[in-house]
Amino acid sequence: MINTNNDLPLEGVRVFELGTAIASPFCGRLMAHFGADVLKIESQLSPDVVRMLGSAWLKDRDDLAAAAPDTSPYVPEMNASKRSVGLELKTTGGRNAALALVAECDVFLANFGARALSDVGLDYQSVAAVNPKIIYVQLPGFGSDPDMPYYPYVAWGPNQAPLVGFDDFTGHASDPPAGIATVAPPDYMSALHAAIATLSGLEHRELTGDGVHVDVSQFETTLALLGPFVMDYDLSGTIHSRIGNRSLWGAPQGVYPCDGHERWIAISAIDDQSWNALSLLMGLDDDRFDDSESRMSQQEDLDVQIGTWTINFDADDLAHRLQNSGVAAHVVSTNEDLLHDTHTMSRNWYQVAPHARLGRDVFSDCAVTLKDTPGRWTDAGPSMGQHTREVLRDVVGMSDEEISQLVSDKAAFEQTEPETLVSRPWDDWIHLLVPGTDDARDL
Amino acid sequence: MAGPYSGLRVIDTTGLAGAYATRLFAGLGAEVIRLEPPDGSPLRYLAPFAASIAPPEDSLWWSYLAMGTRSVVIEPDDKDSLARLLASADVIFEDRLPEDSLIETALISDTTVRTSIVPFGLTGPKRSWKSSNLVAWAASGVLYATGFRDRAPVAPAGHVQLALHASAASALVGTLLALRAKRTSGKGQQVEISIQEAALAIAPETGVPVFLDDRVHRERSGNRRDLGRPFGLYPCSDGFVSIIVLLPRHWTAMAAWVAEATGNETITEEVFEDLGVRMETQELIDTWVEELTTGQTRQALFHEGQRRGIPITPVNTVSALLDDPHLKAAEFWSETQLPDGSSVSVPGAPFRTNSDWWTMSAAPLLGQHTEFYLG
Repeated sequence: MINTNNDLPLEGVRVFELGTAIASPFCGRLMAHFGADVLKIESQLSPDVVRMLGSAWLKDRDDLAAAAPDTSPYVPEMNASKRSVGLELKTTGGRNAALALVAECDVFLANFGARALSDVGLDYQSVAAVNPKIIYVQLPGFGSDPDMPYYPYVAWGPNQAPLVGFDDFTGHASDPPAGIATVAPPDYMSALHAAIATLSGLEHRELTGDGVHVDVSQFETTLALLGPFVMDYDLSGTIHSRIGNRSLWGAPQGVYPCDGHERWIAISAIDDQSWNALSLLMGLDDDRFDDSESRMSQQEDLDVQIGTWTINFDADDLAHRLQNSGVAAHVVSTNEDLLHDTHTMSRNWYQVAPHARLGRDVFSDCAVTLKDTPGRWTDAGPSMGQHTREVLRDVVGMSDEEISQLVSDKAAFEQTEPETLVSRPWDDWIHLLVPGTDDARDL
Repeated sequence: MAGPYSGLRVIDTTGLAGAYATRLFAGLGAEVIRLEPPDGSPLRYLAPFAASIAPPEDSLWWSYLAMGTRSVVIEPDDKDSLARLLASADVIFEDRLPEDSLIETALISDTTVRTSIVPFGLTGPKRSWKSSNLVAWAASGVLYATGFRDRAPVAPAGHVQLALHASAASALVGTLLALRAKRTSGKGQQVEISIQEAALAIAPETGVPVFLDDRVHRERSGNRRDLGRPFGLYPCSDGFVSIIVLLPRHWTAMAAWVAEATGNETITEEVFEDLGVRMETQELIDTWVEELTTGQTRQALFHEGQRRGIPITPVNTVSALLDDPHLKAAEFWSETQLPDGSSVSVPGAPFRTNSDWWTMSAAPLLGQHTEFYLG
C-alpha cells in the first residue's frame, strides 16, 4: 500500500448521516472536513430544520423558492463538505436504497429520535443485519432504550440546557434565571462526544474487526460536565446556583461597562499576580483588597470600583492595555466586533468554498487544527438532493433507469431547478472578510 | 474488551483546559499520566472542596476530572526523568505556548502527537493573550447576547466552565484524528485548539455568517427568545419550566392544553397557528401560557406536557437530577471513592456502547505513581 504522509485521517471512511439541526450534522461536518465521504440523507417531506430556515434576504422572493432551502447560513455551518442524497425513508423504495447505502458505509450517524429510527427500519438491529461491521452512533435526547421513562419525550437543544441545570446556573444572583436560549451547548457537546465515539469505534474495528453500537443520550452526555456539583450536593447538600460572572475561585471576575452604548469588557483577575497588575493599572491605593480572601468577601465593593474605572475607557483599548499587563480580558464582542476581529481574520477563521446554488459561500472553520493533515472544505454545503444520482450510481451501483424510477415514484429526489442560481448580497466584498479570496470568478 | 485506546500512553500537563479530554481518554482505556508540579495540579486548588479531606486532595474538580489517571511529580530540575517519561509518550497534552512550555520541543519524539490547547491559538496578534471561561465567551459573541436587556451580559452556566470543556473535547477529537493519521504516516503531529475558536465553533447562532445573512444586531433577550412563542422560560409554582414551540404540531398540542386547563378557547383559534401572528401577539400568548404554568409544579408540567408531545422541560438544579426517575432507572449515576474512603455519586459514562469500553478508577493522590514510573 502506498501512502503519503498527508493522507487525511478519515480518507476512505464513508458516513451515512441521518441528521437534523445540530447534534449529528455538526459531528458529520467535522468528519467530512477530515476526509470522510459524508452522505447527508435528506427528505423533502420532513426537511432538516436548517433547510426550513432559508435566508433572511430571500424571504419575499417567491420566484426563488426552489433555491431557498440551500441558502441558510446554517447549511454550511452544519453541512459543509458533505454530499446530499434525497431519499424518502417512509417509502419502500427509499428505505431499500438507504439500506443498500448503509451496506457500503463505515459509520451510521443519526440524531433522529430513537422511535423515529425504528419506524423507518433503521434501528441498530436492522442496520447491523445488513452491515455487521457498522459503527452505529445515535444521539437521541434520552437514550435508545424503550423501557426508560423519558424514552418517548421530546427535547431540543434549548430544552436540554434547562433540564441539566445550565439555565439555573445562568444569570445574576438576584435575578430570575436568564437561561441560555441563544445558543445550545448540549447539542454541540453531544456532537463532539459523538465524534470521539465514532473515532473510538473506528479504532475498535481496526483492533477487533467488529462494529459497535454507541448510544449518546444527550441528557446523560451533558450531565457528564457537571461532576463537581453533583459530588458537592451528594456530600454536603450544597445546591449551587447562579452568581453572575463571578468565580468560585477568586476575585475579581466580571463584566464591566466601558465608554459608549452597550460596550462592555470581561475581566478575570482572580490570582494575586493578575490582581496586582490590575490594581496597578487602576492606580488603586487601597490595602483592603491585598489578599485573596478579602477580595472574595468584598466583591460588591471591588466590582463597583472596577466599573467606575472601566467606564472611562474604550473597551477594545482597555482590553489591549490589560492583556499587555498580563490580565485576562476581552471586549464583550458583538456581531459587529466579530466581523472586524483582526485576530480571527489573521487565522482565517472564516472560510470560503464553492456552492452549487450561490457560487460560493462563507462559513466558520473547524476549531480542530491538525498541522500535517489540516482538513479541507470541498463544498460550502450541498444543495438538497444534489448528489442523489451520483451516490446511488457510484456507491450502490444502481442504473440511471433505476434511479429515475425512484425519483418518479417519489422515493428519491434530486436537486430542484438546478438552473436557479442566486448570489448573496455581500458576495462582492467577501474578500474583505476572508483575505485571499478576492474574486468570485476564481472559483 | 477494554477501551479501544488501551496500551496508549498519554502525558497531561494541562489544567482545566485539557482535563476533560484526558478524563475521557482514560475512560476509553488510555494510560493517562498527569505530570504535577510538587505543590500539585492547579485543579487541586479549585472549589468546591470535600470538607472531610485535607488539601491538596480535597478539590472535587480534581476528584472528578482526574478519575482514571495517574499522578507523577517531577522536580523542576529533574530533566532526566522528564526526558525519560516523554520519550515513552504517544500523546502529550499542553495548555501553554511552546515558548512557555515546561517541555522543550527537542524532547518530543516525531512519533508523538502534541496537543496544545491555548487561549487564542498558536498564531495571530492575540496569541499571547490570557483567557478564562468568561473571557472565551466574551470573545465568541455569546456573552453579549446572554442575559436580560437591562442588566450586564452573563456567561452561560459560568460554574460549568463550558468553553473550557468544549476546548478539551475538541482537543480529544483532534488527538484521535492525529492518531488515526499516524496509522498511515507513522508520524505524530501538532494538534492545535484555540479556546476562542472552540467557543466560536459551538456558537454560530451569534457568529458572523448568520449576522451577514440577517444583519440583526444580536441583543440580550432575557430568558425568552424571539424565534417562536411560547419559547423560553415560564414561571410555575416552584420555579420555571422551559417551553420551545416552533413546529405546527407542537403549537396545536400547546393550545389545546392551555384551553383545557384554563378554559381559554380563544387560543385554539386558527389565526394563532401562524407563527408570525404569535410573534406579533407574543405578550398575549405569554400571558395565556403563564395562566397554565403558574399554578402547577415543574414536574407536573414536565410530564403532562411531554405526554401531550410538547417540548417542555423543568429548569432543574442538581438536587432534582440526583433524584430524577429516568436517570435512576437507566442507572446513570456512578460512584467514586475519595481519599478518606467515603463514596460519592458522580456522573457515569458520557455515552453507552454495546462493547465494554468504559472504565474509571478514583483520582490519584499527589505523586501516587511517581515511584512506579520514575523509581
